[in-house]
Amino acid sequence: MAAYLSMGEAHRRINDYLNRFADSVMSQDVGSLKSLLTLTADSPFLLAVADSISLVQDGNRLIKQSEKYSQLAEILVPLLRAIQCYRVNNLADAYHAFEKAANAFVQEFRNWDSAWALDAIYVVAYEIRVLAERADTKLSSEGKSPEKLKAAGSFLMKVFGVLAGKGPKRVGALYVTCQLFKIYFKLGTVHLCRSVIRSIETARIFDFEEFPNRDKVTYMYYTGRLEVFNENFPAADHKLSYALKHCNLRKEANIRMILKYLIPVKLSLGILPRDWLLEKYNLVEYSKVIQALQRGDLRLLRNALEENEDRFLRSGVYLVLEKLELQVYQRLLKKIYAIQKLKEPGKAHQLKLEVIIKALKWLEIDMDLDEVECIVAILIHRNLVKGYFAHKSKVVVLSKQDPFPKLTGKPMGS
Amino acid sequence: MDRRRGQQQNHHHQNRRHRGSGWNPSPASYSNSRPTSASWDRDDDPSGGRVPATARRGGFTNRYVVPGVRSVVGGHGRRGGDEGYDDDEQGKARANPDRESPLVGTCPHMCPAAEIEQRERLRDLASFERLHGNPAKTSPELAVKKFCRTISTKDVRPSDIRPIAVLERTLDYLMGLMDMSDKPFEIVHDFVFDRSRSVRQDMSMQNVVDRKAIQMYEKMAKFHVISHHKLRVSGQGSDEVIVSSWHHLNMEQMAKVLTSLYNLYDVNQLPNSLHENEAEYRSLYVLLCLGSDSLPEGETLPLWLRRVPSLVIKSKEMSFARKVLRSVRVGNYKRFFDTVAAEASYLQYCAIGPSIDKVRALALSCINTGGYKLHPYPISHLSTLLRMKESEMEAFCEACNLATSFDEHGNMVLTTKQTGFTYPKRGFEKYSFTGTDENIGR
Repeated sequence: MAAYLSMGEAHRRINDYLNRFADSVMSQDVGSLKSLLTLTADSPFLLAVADSISLVQDGNRLIKQSEKYSQLAEILVPLLRAIQCYRVNNLADAYHAFEKAANAFVQEFRNWDSAWALDAIYVVAYEIRVLAERADTKLSSEGKSPEKLKAAGSFLMKVFGVLAGKGPKRVGALYVTCQLFKIYFKLGTVHLCRSVIRSIETARIFDFEEFPNRDKVTYMYYTGRLEVFNENFPAADHKLSYALKHCNLRKEANIRMILKYLIPVKLSLGILPRDWLLEKYNLVEYSKVIQALQRGDLRLLRNALEENEDRFLRSGVYLVLEKLELQVYQRLLKKIYAIQKLKEPGKAHQLKLEVIIKALKWLEIDMDLDEVECIVAILIHRNLVKGYFAHKSKVVVLSKQDPFPKLTGKPMGS
Repeated sequence: MDRRRGQQQNHHHQNRRHRGSGWNPSPASYSNSRPTSASWDRDDDPSGGRVPATARRGGFTNRYVVPGVRSVVGGHGRRGGDEGYDDDEQGKARANPDRESPLVGTCPHMCPAAEIEQRERLRDLASFERLHGNPAKTSPELAVKKFCRTISTKDVRPSDIRPIAVLERTLDYLMGLMDMSDKPFEIVHDFVFDRSRSVRQDMSMQNVVDRKAIQMYEKMAKFHVISHHKLRVSGQGSDEVIVSSWHHLNMEQMAKVLTSLYNLYDVNQLPNSLHENEAEYRSLYVLLCLGSDSLPEGETLPLWLRRVPSLVIKSKEMSFARKVLRSVRVGNYKRFFDTVAAEASYLQYCAIGPSIDKVRALALSCINTGGYKLHPYPISHLSTLLRMKESEMEAFCEACNLATSFDEHGNMVLTTKQTGFTYPKRGFEKYSFTGTDENIGR
């Protein structure tokens, strides 16, 4: 930070900023324009401009004085204010001013025929969201009600509307969509994703393939997560796998995020990831779960869920993992069957319920006859076991052919 | 039916004029067109369920007013315009943005004098409000302010709004009516439904969001949850259509009240403990979602659970609810019944309500699918398992399109591998829930 800033220097800096802005618009230089809008990046240049504005206190006059920038006054006046407010950590006002500037900018953008400034729109969308988030955090900590992020959501919907037209600007719509997803997920208003998803997926002006790869990956990640919450596993698998496949291999953090949701989905479909995958992307919270599935060890599954309860609840996969219990039971029965086959191949397909009780007891799980019968009945009902149970003889009789059908046709456990 | 007609009120629910669909739109006040399954904007909640940090610290004054959080009380719901603006919502507060400080009511009775006078004149009195049965005369002890949909805060006078102390008294009076056994439940429900909604409206207009609000919302939540159970099992045969639509309307309000209650818990959060009944009331959400993924327009469970405070997660009541949830999702009917019988409070039992028969049907389906044909399943054992009276089993099996028969010893049995099993249609008979000390199967 400059030790001492003279009035003259401050004037010069502000004019410099205004010039750059006006020039970049005139020459359609989006690279320069972008750098003038990235408030939250804390660039030294913008910090210096901010200090200058604080000193001069009447930047607006400067704007109105020169014809060159007065035409962009609707953008520049609030923009300068935003820069200054942000610098002094007045985040709520910074957001408010930036939204005003952004609004004016988007109106201009709408009037321009070509999509030259699309990158700048991306920057604006990003800044709107991040500014709003920071403003809300500050508001909350002051005991005030945080409403900026919600406003950002409304604003971005408008931007989406501007982009959703027939021209070249439409490829920007997916980026804005992803910013909206992030906002809705953060606010917990996930149901609002529906309308924008509908627009993307059904509007004829959009061709999914045309969108930039980065945006497609993000989009599939979020929509995949929504499918996980709604337990549509095949759809979740499809979307998250797409995201994984097209994700830049160097973006390891992103890959990890995708896997965090893809793994429970795959597990539900009976597909187990290899250990190295978990290790490479630091997803060891799933390793005990996977072991439990491989061994048919219910106790291990329950432990794993308990140990990571907070984490799994927060990411929203807890309920999915819980349901894996049935596959663990299936595995357990399969093991008992395998052991019996070695001892007495002729009668192996008859499992006494008592034997199952003993096996569970060995895993420190107490179940009475009724409950074991119930589990067996459910496994048969859900087609995880082929056979029948005889109530009187307290026995489950497995089908001689394929008594433990695979879930997806792919081998379970490797 | 206060909430269905704006004209002459008639509290015999045999009046069949407005059966089923098609409510009369009514001039001005006291009307209530049937709400659609509509937009219930949780995003009205500015904190998005997150608590302002200062609110988490204990020791703030009784009336902690969170600016901009008027939407907290009275639930949310920006309905799409056509069905009319809904009640106590934020929209009311917004109607008069220049009213900086919240209104403080001064009405000393359960019903404002002006309204009493008007309704006496129009003979618009519910049966509970009539003095000695006179349809044109009431008293301050009997009259209770009606819910009014189309009110705007600009026109409201403090004398029409009841202050908190009066609201508390009113609510207690209404809840007391629920224990009256001489009138059919539906009639009491209808009256309390409407009048408690008006209580919420008054609370919302005065921006009551403190601990007293919690107590009052808990009482109203309890009313809706118990109604959720009782409306489903009463109204057999007669008036099924009406009662079933009341059940639906009740679910909508129940969802709103619960959401508001949870917001109140969040806003009034104590540093290291929960409110007295918080764990139980939070657990109800999970139990109400058993059958489907969420309450009407509510969050799906995975999303809802994400934001529940960890003290709630660790509570006995929430653990119970999640155990029940797990058993339903896995299909472990044995564990389901054992857990419910052993640990459910009456309120939790009411919330679980419809799922009990669904699980019973699932059990029958599993046994029918997987049971050995030559070992027909003994009904007596089944009834113990499913916690029903043996005498009810035959009817229940029949409702599932399964036939029972007798074995050589004269015991009733269920032969397996029958075709044509179906899940019973809505409107189950009321079955008992046996084997608990508390006799929750009321």
